[in-house]
Amino acid sequence: MLTLFEREHLDVNNLAEADTAIRVEQLSLRFGSKPVLENISMSIPKHQITALIGQSGCGKSTLISSFNRLNDLHQHCHYSGKVIINGRDINSRKENVAQLRTQVGMVFQRPNPFPMSIFDNVSYGLRLQGINTRRQLDEAVEQALHDAALWNEVKDRLFEPANVLSGGQQQRLVIARALALQPEILLLDEPTSALDPLTTLFIEELMAGLKKRCSIVIVTHNMQQAARVSDYTAFLHQGRLIEYSDSDTLFTTPRKKQTEDYITGRYG
Amino acid sequence: MSKLPSLSSVLNAGQRQSLFIGICTFFTAILLLAMVSIVLLIFARGGGYFWPEDIQQLQFVRASDDQPITAYGQYQNQFEQGGEPVRWVVYSHARNPYGNQTLLDDTNLLQARLAPEAARISLRDGRAILGEPLKVTAPSDPDVSLNRLAQRLTQVRQIEQSIAGIRDEQLADIHQKLTELDQRKVGKKAPARLTLNQGFDRWHKRILTLEKQRDAYQLFVRLADQSIVSVALIEVEHLVYPGQLSGWQKLGEALYEVGGFLSESPKQANTAGGVFPALFGTVLMVFLMTIIVTPFGVLAAIYLNEYASNNGLIVVIRIAVSNMAGVPSIVYGVFGLGFFIYGVGGNIDALFFEANLPAPTLGTPGVFWASLTMAILTLPVVIVATEEGLRNVPQGLKAGSYALGATKAETVLYTILPMASPGIMTGVILAIARAAGEVAPLMLVGAVKFAPNLPIDAEFPYLHLERQFMHLGVLIYDGAFHSQTDAKGASMMFAACLLLLVVVFVLNILAVLLRTKLRKRYHKG
Repeated sequence: MLTLFEREHLDVNNLAEADTAIRVEQLSLRFGSKPVLENISMSIPKHQITALIGQSGCGKSTLISSFNRLNDLHQHCHYSGKVIINGRDINSRKENVAQLRTQVGMVFQRPNPFPMSIFDNVSYGLRLQGINTRRQLDEAVEQALHDAALWNEVKDRLFEPANVLSGGQQQRLVIARALALQPEILLLDEPTSALDPLTTLFIEELMAGLKKRCSIVIVTHNMQQAARVSDYTAFLHQGRLIEYSDSDTLFTTPRKKQTEDYITGRYG
Repeated sequence: MSKLPSLSSVLNAGQRQSLFIGICTFFTAILLLAMVSIVLLIFARGGGYFWPEDIQQLQFVRASDDQPITAYGQYQNQFEQGGEPVRWVVYSHARNPYGNQTLLDDTNLLQARLAPEAARISLRDGRAILGEPLKVTAPSDPDVSLNRLAQRLTQVRQIEQSIAGIRDEQLADIHQKLTELDQRKVGKKAPARLTLNQGFDRWHKRILTLEKQRDAYQLFVRLADQSIVSVALIEVEHLVYPGQLSGWQKLGEALYEVGGFLSESPKQANTAGGVFPALFGTVLMVFLMTIIVTPFGVLAAIYLNEYASNNGLIVVIRIAVSNMAGVPSIVYGVFGLGFFIYGVGGNIDALFFEANLPAPTLGTPGVFWASLTMAILTLPVVIVATEEGLRNVPQGLKAGSYALGATKAETVLYTILPMASPGIMTGVILAIARAAGEVAPLMLVGAVKFAPNLPIDAEFPYLHLERQFMHLGVLIYDGAFHSQTDAKGASMMFAACLLLLVVVFVLNILAVLLRTKLRKRYHKG
């Protein structure tokens, strides 16, 4: 009887292959001589929302960026270990990184629309994939804007510059831009930290709806947000994975003292 | 002896601050003064070239031979020499009606009065007569009144046109046919040849008649000393009475002169006429240079900024680029001459145009080599400005592009370059302004005082990049040397300066507008 009200949880520390979106194996990463991630192993479940929490500088953003190799942009980034997506180790030299990034979409802390029209922003990724027919683009752009719950607000001004949108609209535009490529995984790096509470709520609802379409990994500073939106939560501290379990357990009965201290606000 | 009191003991903190501000303001004011006086001088002297100065009837003693002279004259400019006011005067005299000039001391000036009856008659070859037009004659028409001057001018020009028409169409055709006959070795008495010769004679006679008619149109002019000279009307280009014009009419006259200045060729060894070939040469050279330097500079900057890792070699390249900006331009000129013209051009000649040697085909100064040299000279400007623009592209946008599956090249092409375009534009326009004003290297690699042909004409292949060209800066340089002996040449130099200044101003304003527009498009707010 009780199980009806409780959510069914997978055991993230022993996840079946079919349920895994990303498997991280002994990932270590350093920028120059400064270690950022140390020996992280975890599995991120498919079609769930996984939150990464921890103090500033604990490596959350670096971890999420290693899921689409965006850390490569840093000149002195060195990593070891494996990140397996769809059975491929994306850290291998043979990986087609551009292709990977179409499958693993990413949204950043600050909305970063390109200085082009709304339409061009959403179709940017598609055009790079060589989709150029107007009809295909139109359909995909409309679908993506629907998915990001932005269509009704911008449908009459698709060809206006994206810069005129408000912050929340810009962030949803950026989400639409990522969704247009129909990614399997969506990485959100503190997507609401630059937005007001109401807009934040809006984006959180959006995430819950997107779960059906892709696996979501979200980095957040906001514990309440992590508790509200996520199914699973991982707590990082100084580059190490301290605790990782379903969110209900982690926020109500954390096993580690450090986790408890952090979520109760004793440090951080 | 007591020690000098230190500044801080004499002035309190507030006074020290205002002293400092005062000093800074002083130097800024001096700077402002310098800029304003440059602009004013160039505008006054350059503008004066176009302004129709009143004609005066002067009586003076010529300094060279102490002869008293009565003549119509125009003051060119006025300055002090040893405390005495001195004027350059251009005047018409019976012995040489076409503009003598002299340096006139006020003590030598006996009498001067405004002469509204006198006109300035500009001739086609750039010379001018100052005198009172008396009458204009025409063949078989006893009416010689000046009222019909405009009509007579049209008539004589029509005649000139028909002469030119006959020369170009009929005679050229006959000449060509005769040459063909010569080549086919047709005999002297062949009927074809005779017909042609008859035709030639007929047209030639027609030309002679027309020329006689044309020369009957004469304009008679009375000089101040009552002597009368006549000028063939066909030689007269423009006639104006400066003494009878109101201020606005003078302005109109000045604008007419500006039009002529921009559209005509230089005359009288660059002391009269217009600067069109120089303007055209400058624009063409700068245009070619832009086409060459923009891709070079932009691509190099992209490599340095986006692709190259920050190792020692890149640091060395960056330092070299900044140093290139400081190398004296004459060094580039010598490089262009030695490397491009003698080296590259000479080798091309040896390989492909051996038949013409020793006359060089490409191994000689020309507009293409000049553009190439200037491109190298302005390359650092473009590279530095482009790098600046590239650095200003927010990291977040690049990351956004990569996160959508763009490769580095795609990110550069679709995101970074459009964002950096204001910076690139700035660099290119600065480069253009620099190249438009450069003189020294150009004189080595292709700019000349006088070029008979434009680099573009109706002759295949239409664009003659191997030709030498005229350049505004070189024209000014040339004019500066004339100014020692020739007041008119000096004024023309100032007018060319004014034109150059205007060109650079316009380019800079264009740059600012373009940059603001692009900034608005690519940056919020």
